[in-house]
Amino acid sequence: MAEIFQQLINALLLGCTYTLIAIGFNLFFGALNVVHFSHGDVCILGAFMTLILYGLAKLLGLVTFLPGYVFVPLLILMAMVLTGLIGTFFERVVIRPFRYAPLLMVLVATVALGMVVRETVRLSFPHGSNPQIFPRILPQTSFQWEGVLIRLDSLIIFGTTIFLISMMFLFIKRTRIGAAIRAVSQDTEAAAMMGINIDRTVAVTFLIGSVLGAIAGILIGAYNNIIRFDMGLMGGVKGFSAAVVGGLGNVYGAIIGGLILGLVETFAAAFIPGGTPYTDVFAFLVVIFFLIFKPSGILGEKVYEKV
Amino acid sequence: MLPRTIGRAVILLAVEAFFFILFAAFMKTDETGKVIAFLLFFIGLGVMFKKWEKARLTLTGLFKELKIVAGAGFVAMLLTLPFIFQASPYLIHICVMAGLFAILALGLNFQLGSTNVVNFATAASYGIGAYASALLAVHFHISFWLGLLVGGSLASIFGLLLGIPCMKTKDYYLSLVTIAFGLIVYILLNNFSWTGGPNGIPNIPPPSLFGHSFKEPLSLFGYQLPFQSNYYYLIFLLVGGSLFVAHRLHHSRVGLTWNAIREDEIAARCHGIDVTWYKILAFCIDAFFGGVAGTVYSHYIGFISPENFAFIVSVVVVTMVILGGMDNVFGVIIGAILLTILPEKFRAFEDFRVLIYGLIVVTMLMFRPQGLFPQKMRIYKK
Repeated sequence: MAEIFQQLINALLLGCTYTLIAIGFNLFFGALNVVHFSHGDVCILGAFMTLILYGLAKLLGLVTFLPGYVFVPLLILMAMVLTGLIGTFFERVVIRPFRYAPLLMVLVATVALGMVVRETVRLSFPHGSNPQIFPRILPQTSFQWEGVLIRLDSLIIFGTTIFLISMMFLFIKRTRIGAAIRAVSQDTEAAAMMGINIDRTVAVTFLIGSVLGAIAGILIGAYNNIIRFDMGLMGGVKGFSAAVVGGLGNVYGAIIGGLILGLVETFAAAFIPGGTPYTDVFAFLVVIFFLIFKPSGILGEKVYEKV
Repeated sequence: MLPRTIGRAVILLAVEAFFFILFAAFMKTDETGKVIAFLLFFIGLGVMFKKWEKARLTLTGLFKELKIVAGAGFVAMLLTLPFIFQASPYLIHICVMAGLFAILALGLNFQLGSTNVVNFATAASYGIGAYASALLAVHFHISFWLGLLVGGSLASIFGLLLGIPCMKTKDYYLSLVTIAFGLIVYILLNNFSWTGGPNGIPNIPPPSLFGHSFKEPLSLFGYQLPFQSNYYYLIFLLVGGSLFVAHRLHHSRVGLTWNAIREDEIAARCHGIDVTWYKILAFCIDAFFGGVAGTVYSHYIGFISPENFAFIVSVVVVTMVILGGMDNVFGVIIGAILLTILPEKFRAFEDFRVLIYGLIVVTMLMFRPQGLFPQKMRIYKK
């Protein structure tokens, strides 16, 4: 029983990061009908941003100067904002020119953009192809509860995710910009006719999505203590998969999809003998299964093709 | 009339020879400065060609009029390439790799170019062909020539398997399936024990023909050519064959159907086109080409590992198709050749290779989405 519970915690954690990435995919798809294939790389960029800022702070002596509970949130906040701005910049430069072009073009362009981001990260770090050690910004203590080992950092990760997601929902439900985002995702043309500034709304959407993604990247780095330049490829594909399983375009679906993927992966690793190297294969098989039998995802509405 | 034709043919061959010598000289330079000078010269030539309408019309007219002479001259010149590069096997190696990628790009072109199906699993079919033939050769001593067929067919079956789930999906979902498939194949190759895991398969025997092993130098007309020339001629034949198939397919009903699906899938379906069947056909043919290329690669290098078939390879092939010009078979080949040779010429910037691939795709899509050599309008004679 304790074993299952332990695995459930792991699944929940993995699901949290997938959810954070998947929300980005859903927001972008809602706003622009676009899948931003380099979103995973933007997310991992958040972790690398933290790494760079941490190095800078170390150089300036801020690490010892400020107490940890002030310094770490500040660090993460700065990394978030920077990554969010980068995400918005990508939208402006790479995605906007293709707004009225065939889907294929923006698809290939974002895949290529992901490659550019990965390589830039790899080249701008010394020995960039090797895993980089991520600073231990979260407390490393853990405690036992009914035979289950709980790490304090996993609790923090879980809490942060829930907090951020609820903040995002509040933002979308309660603010004017949130209403604009919902309007654009329902019908872009009608929203434009009602006087909503589409470009600005889309930019805000990308800002929110990238900030949440950056958090996912930072959490992944903080939990594993290492980051690699090419984690973004897998992260992006998984996040997109989670979004598809939950229903692309539906923000609530991201949570369900993320949790399903997290569960499948953790349980495949834990309970299928010799399954550990094949966790990704199981996850992808589940995604392909969903695409064949329920392409609109769990919460997605069935889309009818219009001529 | 005849002397005039001969005169024109001579001019044509001279133009071809001029470009061929330029190309050979370009291949032989290895200083970055000179390479850049050559490139600038080529670009200047291209711009001049574009601006100077009279010369362009005359030249294209010549090529159209004397198609057979032009083709024969071109083939003859390419056949002499190993003799010119006799002293530097490395250059022949680059040509072989360019040929391999040309086959891959031609295969992908059926999907990406003709049918508008974005397939990011090229590396998977490439890898399946390579692994299948290598395993057969190492464990069961099956000859390369049979392996070529088996590798191609197995990859084709893989294409079918990939095509079935893809038929239920479109656009983004479809790319997700292909990316997932590519990653699955990569992970499996990396983890199965019978594929050698991350260490791959070493010591794959070279092919042999009429008792002549491809690992031995080729002696032709009293010249000793390095062993790479064997593969050069093999790949020359294979590219020629693929080109023929691709060209014929493009101008057949099948190619036209693919284009119809690309333009508007619903309209195509309304006209009674079996969209599913034609898309699966594109998947299978693409995978067959990939499998053949993989087989040649594994036997040529003699060693394969999963790293040779990672996701990045698929993206590189997509880059080639986009750069060359979607749905233009000659353009695609030129794209493949350019993107294989240029990185080798800029070895000093080896680290930036992938970055530059990415930048090329993004800028091409923004400023010249139709590629360097766009597809020509289909012209039907009355």
